Amino acid sequence: MSEIYTRMGDGSRVVTTRSKVIDDLNLGSADAADMGVIKALSSDLIEQLADIICDKNRVVGVEPGHEVVLTYDIGQLDFTGDNGNSGNGIDMGRLEAALLHERAMGADTFELAHADYSIKPVKPVISNEMQTMEEIQNEIVAPFFYGAMPNMGLYYKPDGPYGNPADLMREFKIEEAMDQAEKASEHMARDIEFVSTRIMSAGSDGFNFDTTGSAGDADVVGTFKGVEKLRKACPDADILLGMAGECVMGIHGSIEYDGKVVAGLFPHQQVKLAEKAGADVFGPVVNTNTGKSLAWNLGRAVTFVRECGKVAKIPIHVNMGMGVGGIPMCETAPIDAVTRCSKAMVEVAGVDGV
Amino acid sequence: MVENKKALYDAMVAYKVPGIQAAVEDARKAGMSPTEIIDALGDGMAEVGVLFERGKLFLPHVLSAAAGMKSAMEVLGPEMLKAGTKTENKVSVVMGTVEGDVHDIGKSICSTMLQCGGFDVHDLGRDVPKQDFINEVKGGCKMCGMSALMTTTMVIEKDVIQMLKDAKLRDSTIVMIGGAPATQAWCDKIGADIYGETASETTRKAKEINTR
Repeated sequence: MSEIYTRMGDGSRVVTTRSKVIDDLNLGSADAADMGVIKALSSDLIEQLADIICDKNRVVGVEPGHEVVLTYDIGQLDFTGDNGNSGNGIDMGRLEAALLHERAMGADTFELAHADYSIKPVKPVISNEMQTMEEIQNEIVAPFFYGAMPNMGLYYKPDGPYGNPADLMREFKIEEAMDQAEKASEHMARDIEFVSTRIMSAGSDGFNFDTTGSAGDADVVGTFKGVEKLRKACPDADILLGMAGECVMGIHGSIEYDGKVVAGLFPHQQVKLAEKAGADVFGPVVNTNTGKSLAWNLGRAVTFVRECGKVAKIPIHVNMGMGVGGIPMCETAPIDAVTRCSKAMVEVAGVDGV
Repeated sequence: MVENKKALYDAMVAYKVPGIQAAVEDARKAGMSPTEIIDALGDGMAEVGVLFERGKLFLPHVLSAAAGMKSAMEVLGPEMLKAGTKTENKVSVVMGTVEGDVHDIGKSICSTMLQCGGFDVHDLGRDVPKQDFINEVKGGCKMCGMSALMTTTMVIEKDVIQMLKDAKLRDSTIVMIGGAPATQAWCDKIGADIYGETASETTRKAKEINTR
């Protein structure tokens, strides 16, 4: 039996066999089915995924004509960032980065981002951001959004005014933790309205809410409410809403949106609430397990994302990058893994964009 | 009695403190011994851990269940002493997120699960200086649990293990590691004893290693 070179979830190179790849794909898919109470992938789809993983070529791609929308997040930071988790340490302005993404990297859409990439720090510099948005819109052809993480963690002490649930819960002050999370959530929704409506007035084509829910369920609810406000103020705004993880963390535990407890929702459930809030595009996320193989992670990720696409009424642009979408969690995601996972998401999960 | 056991288990899984207290009171009235009550609550707490891992329950729920357990122990502990029931000496564990790293939710969950599993947990919080782990071990902790969320901070775990060796404490200390970037391979590479992917796995392995 021929050897297959593949990866573990931490990016390390391993040698395996096709039958082991199929076993891991089935196990990963079964895990997603169990967690999300959804259907596991059929044997046909597992075989299709195995073909992709076992391809002898280092880089794989979709058939011509099957390409999907390619959107980059984090603005210029994937060039300028130099802190080890994103970027190449290449200094450049935001206009140059936008044009490079459009004209050299094949981006179908791109976004303007502040160095902190979070809603709250943009408030005091909103006028500068509006001016830059206008300047870049004069040059760029591709749809150009503003992008930021809701990042409700910045509203908790020591960064913000509200008590930190992580500290309060350690002291068993559970009700106080919930109360502070609710207040932070309302505050963040107001800030989202402030930032997003102003940036839209400067000519942005839309807004990308990136890593929604990074601070848990109240973060998700605050973002949904912020999206509602933006939708009401700017009916034509193109709103992308991407998640932070496959399962909404219950830091509050009981907070609801549209009568539904948000904690514990998986992508196929998250997308329905995103639609309700007014999002145009949903970005599901499935996390990578570093101790499992690429096949296990990809089988699992495709199972979740395929189900999400099935029930969604809006386009699905899956998050693909370090530690998500089946891609290993390591500082520079290996191209063999990135292309395999991306191809699988398009051809097997049926996503509309990456 | 069987009904009371089930009621205790169910109350723990429902994680509401008043419900747990009521179930404990009913069990006492029905004549269950403190040890039997604690065992039934412990089974419920283990299920809470499983549901937590499956994304069905969350940190506030786990902590609420733990608060219920604590409240039950406040009633049952003195009764056990009065009845002369032998209480096992608890194994002391120092827990902390390593220096330079402020991510401690996972570590806090692990500390709670270890506490509920019968360990005496000294949780030092986050961004813990290396020497503080060593000081706790010198102070009597038999186990040392370190968490890191980042690839840049996980290397500190290796330093602490070396410091334990330098202080001639490594052989008498069980070292546990965890956190998103950690793997069994990393655990083996740095010479730790336990890698826990989840809080309940860590607790199970900690119990196993202490019963060997």
